[in-house]
Amino acid sequence: MNQEDQNFEIEEMMLQRAMVRLRSRALSVVCGLLGGAILFIATIWLVIRGGYPVGPHLGLLGVYLPGYSVTWGGSILGLFYGTLIGALAGWVLAALYNRIADARAIGE
Amino acid sequence: MADSNSEIVVIGAGPAGLTAAHELSKLGRRSVILEQDDQVGGISRTCEFEGYRFDIGGHRFFTKVDYVRQIWREILGNEMLTRPRLSRIYHDGKFFDYPLKPLNALLGLGPVEAVRIGLSFLRAQIAPAPRVASFEDWVVSRFGRRLFEIFFKTYTEKVWGMPCSQISADWASQRIRQLDLLVAVRNALIGSVATGQGEVVTSLIEEFEYPRHGPGQMWERCRDMLSEFGSKTMMETEVISVQHARGQVTGVVAQQPGMPEYLIRTDQVLSSMPVRTLLRCLDPAPPESVLRAAERLNYRDFLTVALIIEEPDLFQDNWIYIHSDEVQVGRVQNFKNWSPDMVPDQQKTALGLEYFVQEGDELWSLPDDELIALGTRECETLGLASADKVVGGSVVRMPKAYPVYDGTYQESLTEIRSWLDQIGGLQLIGRNGQHRYNNQDHSMMTGVYAARNIVGSEYDIWDVNVEEDYHEERDSKNLSTSGDRLVPSRIEIAPLERRIRELYARIDPVALGSAMGMMTGVTLFLATVVLLLRGAETSMPNISLLGNYFLGYGVSWFGSVVGLIEGSLAGYLLGWSMASLTNLVMRIEERKTFAAFEAGQMMNLYEADES
Repeated sequence: MNQEDQNFEIEEMMLQRAMVRLRSRALSVVCGLLGGAILFIATIWLVIRGGYPVGPHLGLLGVYLPGYSVTWGGSILGLFYGTLIGALAGWVLAALYNRIADARAIGE
Repeated sequence: MADSNSEIVVIGAGPAGLTAAHELSKLGRRSVILEQDDQVGGISRTCEFEGYRFDIGGHRFFTKVDYVRQIWREILGNEMLTRPRLSRIYHDGKFFDYPLKPLNALLGLGPVEAVRIGLSFLRAQIAPAPRVASFEDWVVSRFGRRLFEIFFKTYTEKVWGMPCSQISADWASQRIRQLDLLVAVRNALIGSVATGQGEVVTSLIEEFEYPRHGPGQMWERCRDMLSEFGSKTMMETEVISVQHARGQVTGVVAQQPGMPEYLIRTDQVLSSMPVRTLLRCLDPAPPESVLRAAERLNYRDFLTVALIIEEPDLFQDNWIYIHSDEVQVGRVQNFKNWSPDMVPDQQKTALGLEYFVQEGDELWSLPDDELIALGTRECETLGLASADKVVGGSVVRMPKAYPVYDGTYQESLTEIRSWLDQIGGLQLIGRNGQHRYNNQDHSMMTGVYAARNIVGSEYDIWDVNVEEDYHEERDSKNLSTSGDRLVPSRIEIAPLERRIRELYARIDPVALGSAMGMMTGVTLFLATVVLLLRGAETSMPNISLLGNYFLGYGVSWFGSVVGLIEGSLAGYLLGWSMASLTNLVMRIEERKTFAAFEAGQMMNLYEADES
């Protein structure tokens, strides 16, 4: 088999086995936006509904997120934390996936 | 430089060149034939070694062109024999009928292999490839991968020197016979079948005509007849240049070994030399772009190792296709079964081991004695003959045996032809002369037409149409008006197809599963550890509820490890399922897109979506 044939075969094989690669930055932005929005809306929703105590279960997140509480101020902090954690999770997920997919492709 | 009188010059003493000269002689015109080799016949020559005659490949004589048959009779008279045909496939130490017969194949392969083939066939039917682009795809989709690997892959790759995954599916659909299972079963049960026109399918021809001393006998006799008429065949004569001026051929400069160059003045040249070589010989030279186009034409080469074996009967076949990859030989000819007169001593047998090579590659460059040793070893490996029975051998190398139809040949040939058309008196004939994979009769007809054109006819020699369904069943929509014999072409993936494949690239389920598994496990582990370290008792009962799903989990040090392990497993399952399901949906979508693409609806695909 000549060089051209080999290149063609390699290219074709790569194409056939092509697996999606996740874009870390894109997934990070998406997960960050979603994470922040979800925590913000979830907090505001409970604040608006009112009652006593306000959002006891969601408030337990304060154990992990310093300063967070189910209040108007907490919703802003939740927006910040949600965005930060979501972005970090999205980036880590994409990076891990890509590393593993690359390693598997080389292995094949 | 010597100078001879003006006459018609034929370059090449193969079937096309000699037939052209023969036709000219019938029209009362003398010609001079220039042959570079020391033998006539081109690839249809018959070589001789110690009285044993052997061909360069096998050359069955059958044609549906009456005039060709007439020429054969004129030249050979009753020296044509009618011979039975038997050809088989060798695979894994066993022989299988060729053309393939399902019952014979399954019995030969055994029950275990038969089950594997059956399962592989079922798999191909249940989950066909989303797209059939290559020869490999085509065969696998009809017979399953197992049968492809056994009966198609190795031999095809040996002959054409490229992977089956790169050969266009069109070639498979045109070239391979009886891939319709029903037709194959019917053939296996009742033998030869008739076509709709009542003709026997040519691939199933069970006998053929063959000159008593091989095809070379025909061309040697033709040369002698021409000599008697007064047309000389100059052997070992190299064409140095083909001269032309003001759009007309004016002469050919030739040279024999050790002799000075000489000029033959002529206004008519019939060239069967390779197009690439002809272009290099033209004087004045063609434009650079035409020369470059000529250099892009490629060829497949061939070598035969002839072995003399001290055994009266080795096997009954005319030839055997070697599908095993344990040996390099592609086909084995038994010349005694072509004609007993090919062998002077009936107590011996002459085999021709055929290797499909590229000029200059490792096999081509091996010394003759090493090639004979290789052939002897491979014969023994195949169980065809014992090495100690081999009493002699010879090697014949045949460069440019097959013109290659690659991705650029058509474009190159068009450019070359349009330029050569400007030179009056120059006609290109034969397989290499036209860079077309002709059968012998097709090549002969190009010579006949070219000869007649010299005396005033106006045949288009590029449109010789001998018999389109000559060897194989062909798809009517793919019929070429040229009558070309089929040669595989390389798949060319159109940019759009490539984009579609990229668009539907799969998500790696293992990678996504692993990534999500790691994240879930670590998150649960850290969440538990943070609670333990901070002693946030209000949170503990809540997160402990996960123990309902994760066996043994709790907010404890042990629980954190359980959370790590089980969280990882759960995350992996979730990621893997997400990717697999997404891939399934994408595969369906991809198939739909390709179907639309193939139906020629791609142009308005997006418009349809928008409406």
